[in-house]
Amino acid sequence: MFSLSFSLFIKWHLSIFCILGHLGKMLVILRDGRKLHGVLRSYDQFANLVLEDTVERIYHGNAYAENWHGLFLIRGENVVLLGEIDLDQEDDVPLRRVEYNVLEHYHKNDTAVKKKHEDNKSQILYEQKGFCREGGEGDGY
Amino acid sequence: MLPLSLLNAAQNKPMLVELKNGETFNGHLVNCDNFMNITLREVYQTNADGDRFWKLKECYIRGSTIKYLRVPDTLLDTVKDEQARARESGRGGRGGHAGGPRGRGLPQRGRGGMRGPPRGRGGRGRGA
Repeated sequence: MFSLSFSLFIKWHLSIFCILGHLGKMLVILRDGRKLHGVLRSYDQFANLVLEDTVERIYHGNAYAENWHGLFLIRGENVVLLGEIDLDQEDDVPLRRVEYNVLEHYHKNDTAVKKKHEDNKSQILYEQKGFCREGGEGDGY
Repeated sequence: MLPLSLLNAAQNKPMLVELKNGETFNGHLVNCDNFMNITLREVYQTNADGDRFWKLKECYIRGSTIKYLRVPDTLLDTVKDEQARARESGRGGRGGHAGGPRGRGLPQRGRGGMRGPPRGRGGRGRGA
C-alpha cells in the first residue's frame, strides 16, 4: 500500500515536471537512515529507483560531507522519502562542507548513540508498555 | 529504462549488492528475475560491520532481502546505445517488412475503391 501511494505520488510529481532526467537533484532517504542525493533516471510501480551520480551525505552539527557512489538501483521497499532539491535554496542552508573521512567518525558515533537510544526505547515499550518487538520475522531490519 | 530492465542489462557486469541487514556482496551478475532474485559469481561477502569477509564461488540472493544494488556508472550509457542500435536495426527491419504490406495494401485500397461504386449503388445491406 505504501509503495502504491508512493508511486502515485511520483507519477503526480513527474506529471508536473514532465520528463524524467530533466529533473534536478533528488534526495532519497532510506529506512536505514542513509541520505542519498542523485538524479532520478527511472522508477517503477514498486518505487524501485535508479539514481545516477549518487552521493551519500552525512551530517554532524552544522557540518556535512559527501561520499561518491555513482549509479544506484534502490529496491522500493527501503525508500522512506523522495524529494526534489531546490538548488537555489540549498545555497542558503548554513552548513559547511568538510572532508568525508573527518566527519565519518562523528557520524558513526551519532548513529551508534541513536541506535542505543532506540534499543532502550523499544526495550521499555516491550517490557513495560505491552508493545511487541519490532523488526521481527520477515523484516530485514 | 525501468529499474528491473537495467538490472537485466547488467548481466555479467560487476556489482555491489547490499542486503537489508547491511551485509554486502561484491560479484558479477550471472542472472536475475523479475522478483529481483539474483545469482552472482566470484563473490566477496562482507558482514554488516565491514570487518569480516568471505569469498564465495557463486551465490544466490533472494530479491526481497535486497536494500540496493550499485552497478557500473557506464551501464546507463551502454544500455542507451544498445537501445538506440536495436531501434535502428528494428526500424530497418520493420521498414523492409512494412514495404511488403504496403505494396499489397495499395492494390487493396484500389480494389476497395473499385468496390466503392457498387457499394454506393446497391446500398447492399440496406436495399435488401
